Amino acid sequence: MPDTVVKARQQIRELLVDVFGGPSFVDGVHDAVSLREAGLPSTALVALLVAMEDAFGFEWDDDVPPEALRSIESLAGHVAALRD
Amino acid sequence: METSPVPPPHGPAEQFTAGRRAAAAALAAAGSIERTVPRARDGRPLFPQGFAGSISHTGRLAIAAVVPGAETVGVDIEPTVMTPRVAAFFLREQERRLLLAPIGHYTARDLFAAKEAAFKAMNHIGTLGEFLFWQIDLSQSDGALIATYRGESVPLWIRSEADLSFAVAIRRGGSWDGRSRRTH
Repeated sequence: MPDTVVKARQQIRELLVDVFGGPSFVDGVHDAVSLREAGLPSTALVALLVAMEDAFGFEWDDDVPPEALRSIESLAGHVAALRD
Repeated sequence: METSPVPPPHGPAEQFTAGRRAAAAALAAAGSIERTVPRARDGRPLFPQGFAGSISHTGRLAIAAVVPGAETVGVDIEPTVMTPRVAAFFLREQERRLLLAPIGHYTARDLFAAKEAAFKAMNHIGTLGEFLFWQIDLSQSDGALIATYRGESVPLWIRSEADLSFAVAIRRGGSWDGRSRRTH
């Protein structure tokens, strides 16, 4: 796995800890698991996406495909693709 | 429409149970003999045929709405205060300018709940495909708040309390026949 993806996944996990009340949720979620199905509220998802814009220095497109936001894995993949 | 408190420790299991309790009460009030609401593989609640419904919960309160004969229903309750930065993310510039106070009558939290409720009511319309709740457009027409996505529309009703916003969207056979109302 490319180093940029590994770092992005770890950074997204840290952002999730910040926006969703501590490490208990993040520690129990595998990278490939759907964040919404794991119980992440929509308010926390939006807060995460906003935090990602600030942390990674990009803006989400209006027409971003839903599957890009599904999991830590897909979010990190999106970040890595932007940097390639 | 029925509510049920979420008991301690207010976790996902308690929220789920309170939501199903509210749904059972709402189904009973609507005249349904079937009162159970199983969970689809994608997490969506499966209401009995002919009794469209929706469930939402916070850590403290669950609410369920059932509308017999409706095509779909979406309900959302939202306790989280939205920062301007978050509002700018999920609301388009025109929505912020026309719908938020002082020109409009809504808070960002009201409009977040509105988009979520509309998404629940529109999410399974086959022609729309997959989309995200903030991609829905909100507008006003004759005082009514309307959600639109790719030509499909649904009316919204908003109730705003000091610590909670509540929204419901009811889709009746592909057209809407209601008007939104914001109450305090």
